[in-house]
Amino acid sequence: MAAQDEGAIPFSIAHDQQQFRLLELPPALLDLIASPDPPVLSIKSQAAPIPAGTPSSKPAYAVLCTSNKTFQLRQVQTSNSVFVTQPVYKAQDDDIALPGLAAIATCTATLELHPVVGSAIPYLKSVLPVYDISEDITNAVGNSQSKSRLFLDIPLSDDECEAGWQELVAFELDSSSFRPSAKTLLQIWQSINAAALAEGISLGSQFLTENLHKAIEDEGYPPSLLNSLLGGLVAEDESFISAWTCLDAKKCVRWVGKIVLEVKGGNSGLLTADFLDAWKDCLPEAWREEAELEAIHGSYVLPTSTTIASKGDLENNEKEPSESSAKTASSRKWHEKFARARRR
Amino acid sequence: MPSIPLYLPNLPASEIDRSGITLNPLPRLLQTPGGRAILEIQGTIHAPALANSPEAPESTETPIGNLVFPLYSEGMREDDTQWMKRVYLYIGKHQRLTGEVKKLAKPLGVLGRRIRDNMEDMEGVEGPGGVENEPVERKDGDELEILEVVRYKIIFSTRPEPVGGEVLVS
Repeated sequence: MAAQDEGAIPFSIAHDQQQFRLLELPPALLDLIASPDPPVLSIKSQAAPIPAGTPSSKPAYAVLCTSNKTFQLRQVQTSNSVFVTQPVYKAQDDDIALPGLAAIATCTATLELHPVVGSAIPYLKSVLPVYDISEDITNAVGNSQSKSRLFLDIPLSDDECEAGWQELVAFELDSSSFRPSAKTLLQIWQSINAAALAEGISLGSQFLTENLHKAIEDEGYPPSLLNSLLGGLVAEDESFISAWTCLDAKKCVRWVGKIVLEVKGGNSGLLTADFLDAWKDCLPEAWREEAELEAIHGSYVLPTSTTIASKGDLENNEKEPSESSAKTASSRKWHEKFARARRR
Repeated sequence: MPSIPLYLPNLPASEIDRSGITLNPLPRLLQTPGGRAILEIQGTIHAPALANSPEAPESTETPIGNLVFPLYSEGMREDDTQWMKRVYLYIGKHQRLTGEVKKLAKPLGVLGRRIRDNMEDMEGVEGPGGVENEPVERKDGDELEILEVVRYKIIFSTRPEPVGGEVLVS
């Protein structure tokens, strides 16, 4: 029983309690911490109203973002007393300072991190006004929000936001951001294609970016939109917005196919043969042969044996996140389930 | 605020500042660069409500008891983990909790508000540095920081056992 005094560390609770949270660190974060120059992460929450399609208007959740990963933060309560302690030096009996341990904070909850893979497209679609050119009249009302400002309100990492931004061919103009309509995109692509033919620019090999800009200058498209469009289509090994550009044939063929299908395929069935012809007509001569349904695999449905329709990525993208969030919500709220059962 | 910056500790976790070892009473395994450790009790400590005891009016903490690692000794080999199996926490003079040191499946980050000032200046406020820094002192922004990465915790999950107090008194 004499053991208590031997090597005993006096334990106390500090009066001045600090505010700490405990955060579970997954390996990905530990790696970042151990790296020689740790990056600054960000905790984001959604400020804007949740896009339509999300069921309950639950309060926005918070996420922790690295540059390319997103983790959902979940607060897990514990009934245990969890103390954060720190060494203290307390003079005992006016002589030696005895090192002791003091609890400087009590944490009633731990934050768990759950990786989420999300698409920024539904969020971006809800906040980006559509930029539409029809019959030479530009329809676009600015939102006076820059790209970086918008990204702050999207609960996803910057890389994921950027991927969505690129997929929508979004662009900044006059300190607003927009996403072009499919019709406008197709129109621009046709201009590019026609200009390339007229000027003898081969899109699949290196060409001067400036030449292409000049060739379609008269059409009056915002240069930032053109750059955004070309940026999504350049060959992988290119660093874009350099003087020279080289487009990737596969990417162009696939992208043009999707856009053509989105524009032409309304509610009524579009004949598959007609679609393929329209698609081929939008491509440079050299790429015509590559316009096969295989190239846009996953983006179309065939309602009948002769017709084709776009898989309506708008629908898809909005359904997915809401479904998953509904699932997690329902599985975790066991007490609500009980309450529901009791009411019956 | 839609986006809050979160700073990571700038000390790599492997590079523990060994100079502070003598000042930290805990076994080496539990020591962290900033000295923070996690101690968990299944239950609640009912400390005396009285903030300052009459004999030590300037005290800043309420004494609870003693923490003992009965199987631990300084000169142990690093890979000897037998000592982790037993930790005592004496509460007051008559109760004892038995617990253990556990490695956390996922290390925990101690997350706090980032204080933008230099930490050194905060420590010695009475020095000239403190005066110099007064205008910007404690400018707590809406910024967060992981202050520490804790990989082990001391956990007490048993009921308190009664122990004789005479030993302590003598």
